[in-house]
Amino acid sequence: MPELLYDHIIVRYGELSTKGKNRKEFTRQLTHNIKKRLSDYEQLTFNTLHDGLFIKLNGEDYLKIREDLQDIFGYAYFAGAIRVEKDIEAVKKVTLQLSETHNVRTFKIVTKRHDKSFPMRSDDINRALAGNILHNTSLSVDVHNPDLMIYIFVDKDYIYVMDEKVKGIGGYPTGVNGTALVMMSGGIDSPVAAYMTMKRGLKIECIHFASPPYTSKQALNKVLTLAEKLSVCQEEINVHIIPFTDLQLAIYKHVDESYCITIMRRMMYRIADEICKRRKIKVITNGESIGQVASQTPESISVIAKVADTLILRPLCMMDKLEIIDAAKKIDTYETSILPFEDCCTIFDPKNPVIKPKEDKCLYYETLFDYQSLINDCINNDEIVKVSYREKRREEDESVF
Amino acid sequence: MKVYLDAVSTTSVDPEVKDTYKKLLDEYYCNSDALYDDGVAIYDMQEKARELIENYLGIRKNEIIFTSGASEANSLAIKGLALKHPEKKHLITSIYEHSSVYNSFKQLENDFGYEVTYLPPDENGQITPQAVEKALRPDSLLVSIMQVNNEIGAVNDISEIGKTVKKHPGVYFHTDITQGLGKIDADLNNADMASFSAHKIHGLKGSGALYKKAHIELLPLISGGQQEYSMRGGTSNALCNIILAKTLRIALANKEKYHDQIMSLHEHLIKGLDPRVTVNYDKGLPTLINISTPLTSEVLLNALNEKGIMISSKSTCGSKKNEVNRTLRSMGIDEDHAIRVSFDYSNTPAEIAYFNETLKEILDKYA
Repeated sequence: MPELLYDHIIVRYGELSTKGKNRKEFTRQLTHNIKKRLSDYEQLTFNTLHDGLFIKLNGEDYLKIREDLQDIFGYAYFAGAIRVEKDIEAVKKVTLQLSETHNVRTFKIVTKRHDKSFPMRSDDINRALAGNILHNTSLSVDVHNPDLMIYIFVDKDYIYVMDEKVKGIGGYPTGVNGTALVMMSGGIDSPVAAYMTMKRGLKIECIHFASPPYTSKQALNKVLTLAEKLSVCQEEINVHIIPFTDLQLAIYKHVDESYCITIMRRMMYRIADEICKRRKIKVITNGESIGQVASQTPESISVIAKVADTLILRPLCMMDKLEIIDAAKKIDTYETSILPFEDCCTIFDPKNPVIKPKEDKCLYYETLFDYQSLINDCINNDEIVKVSYREKRREEDESVF
Repeated sequence: MKVYLDAVSTTSVDPEVKDTYKKLLDEYYCNSDALYDDGVAIYDMQEKARELIENYLGIRKNEIIFTSGASEANSLAIKGLALKHPEKKHLITSIYEHSSVYNSFKQLENDFGYEVTYLPPDENGQITPQAVEKALRPDSLLVSIMQVNNEIGAVNDISEIGKTVKKHPGVYFHTDITQGLGKIDADLNNADMASFSAHKIHGLKGSGALYKKAHIELLPLISGGQQEYSMRGGTSNALCNIILAKTLRIALANKEKYHDQIMSLHEHLIKGLDPRVTVNYDKGLPTLINISTPLTSEVLLNALNEKGIMISSKSTCGSKKNEVNRTLRSMGIDEDHAIRVSFDYSNTPAEIAYFNETLKEILDKYA
């Protein structure tokens, strides 16, 4: 890749799927997300296009930016570009130079003419440039299966030459669909659910239930590390750490062992629901998948979810465990998720959890203790930690390194 | 005047490294595998150091196994790999490797029934990719070639050698980069494993690492707990390991910073040499020059020592044994008269001048 030749990046937003009416809002959010993600590169200058973004590199490192851009949802593709004066001889020179930096045998030129007043038609441009390369190198043209595609974009003031299109990771610009609260245990599933939530254009906050001393600091750190990894998609993530010990102990004191997990999950949903209401969050998402454990049978899920009014979405609910693991590996959360620290769901592992819980039984058990005041305590002591890949969460003594 | 011209043997500790190490020693004594906060803090710093070292070496998502130094890293890489994969019995190395590499292979050959090809350097003092290619066989398991030879300073193209080895699936490439680190660039993209130590780059003795691609399986040489991916048991020497990141960072920065100074010291040294001195090898590392004089090396070293000049005739790891010098012999250099002069950015032009003058005086008097 002739990265040294590039002086621009062109990001194309594409169709942004089907949401015709919201297009303006989508474009605005996407531009905002890209600029934020690249804010460390101080020399960059941006120019919005009708269908994308022009980024002038001004000497910044293309390869690094190339990597960072691939964390962003919502655009169709981007390409490193060389800006050339609107003079066919100049374009000939650059395309020839470009073809020589690639170790390939065949090529094809594709021209797009945004400026229809340019005196040559697209086809003429293709011929002129290809002819020049054929004449000066041993490369040959292959229109069906070329090793190298050279794209020419004739714009109003300049012509841009590109030689690779890097496909975006799809999805909608994060934030365009509002905010979701992700229930995050620290296991394999919830980070994948969080990622899929962001991919649908929802900005996320996370909620984690901590039961010290039954759960360790490492278990909490694991969640924060996961959030840090996920934050590349949206800059910063609020993690709500709910002190859950007292409520959990009360459950285990008053509720029949087989129903403990069911009631515990209902309490978690109640807390998540209340936090959503207070913060005007419209969606709860989590990593539940049908049938995975006793609390995730259809019966369990429906009895548990009855306590919450907020819309609950379960991105993983129809996925196999192996598919989820693959997805976790792809987004680089798997290795962190499998670190062996107990979360509050595994700590009081009942021997015979109920698989088909009944709502009336739940309601009965919930009359046996004053859970509402315990829930209030949880919510009032909600500790919100802002996590970002930019700032290392733990205080590190930089002088050590 | 005391002049230290044995930088390939070891180096002084960088002041910043020393200060930070002292500070860490005062603050952190906990076991890095302990689960309380202080233990976790040390653990986290050690992991951070691993990540930084990977970044500095330009490698990603792989494993840095902290060791007691390059000798241990070399032993672990070579013996660990061979003993884990006993189905393949052919190994390739060079005749002029450091003793920790050479003797690992000797041990595999003599005690474990492996067959080892020892490649000689060519007339340029190098092991070429072509020579490696020629030596490869269907039952080859490992190629281990050093980046920079520690006696004459010859530099091997480990990137190209790695590429050659990669053309043969199932063969691993290990390289000892101890002498090149902080002096010349190392492209480790084609290497499966690489060893280095801290004390050659103004770090602490008893500290080093083996870089290894994560999927490669080794047989641990030290049995113990979960430390170092269970590859090397024993309570982590966590502070040494943590400080290795800083050591490497400073060394790499100094490599750029003092490049011109190194080249000028080199020029000084060569230009000022007495005409009775023969330069045996000066085509590699600018900071290591192998020379011969009419005096035997032992006599010359004694005489230089009298004048406060610290210098070695050969690898210090073989300095007390009367073994043949594999490097010099393979290059056809008369080992009885050869000495290696090595310096780095901590040396001054005045020291080089003093060495040249003293050498002349000694030759005038005794030769």
